[in-house]
Amino acid sequence: MKVTRFDPGDNLIIVAARIWGPRADKQVSLALDTAASETHVIPEVLDELGYSPRQGEAVTIVRSAIGSEQGYMTRVSRFSALGFSCADFRIHVHDQPEGYGIAGLLGLSFLKQFNYEIRSVEGRIVDERAAS
Amino acid sequence: MSEAQHADAPHISEPLTWKQICERYPDEWVALVEIDWVNDTDFDFGTARVVGHDKKRSEQFEQARAWASRYSSMGHFFTGRSRASMPPLLFL
Repeated sequence: MKVTRFDPGDNLIIVAARIWGPRADKQVSLALDTAASETHVIPEVLDELGYSPRQGEAVTIVRSAIGSEQGYMTRVSRFSALGFSCADFRIHVHDQPEGYGIAGLLGLSFLKQFNYEIRSVEGRIVDERAAS
Repeated sequence: MSEAQHADAPHISEPLTWKQICERYPDEWVALVEIDWVNDTDFDFGTARVVGHDKKRSEQFEQARAWASRYSSMGHFFTGRSRASMPPLLFL
């Protein structure tokens, strides 16, 4: 069981994540979003890691209240957050407005591997890998 | 070396705590190296060095690129609070 702390006074539940690529690894802030089916990361991070849209598995379009954004889906060699890591992890590469102060969203594609409890007042996420 | 060259030269800070980084670069994106993480879950570290900072996210990535050959591990964070509520996303 792991415990991840976050700032309960912030507008979003922001956690640190780490992504590995052919050239480097990057640590970034992601907003934990149980309404996002996928995990999203901004293109600059994937570019710096050595991934390119040409390696992408598919072109994707995200539609939201503020418009639509084209991106791509790719797999990173390793991804970690909340104290757990996984290999060959699928990420959707899309831009995010700078004002959000995050590099993407930690969505259900990662979270569904765990049982987790978000204790909002305490600013803690308690998670454990679900038995397969 | 001219002053212009000095101004453009890649800069790295001394080791700073997150509190010091936030005070020095408020509401900016920062690129950090030599991050002394406390554990593998929380956003807590002892100190880190700043190799890029700017209000614009893309600019700090640009500044940090000058250090990419020396540091293969780097962090990119925003020193302010998130200012927007997230709009719902719909995948097609």
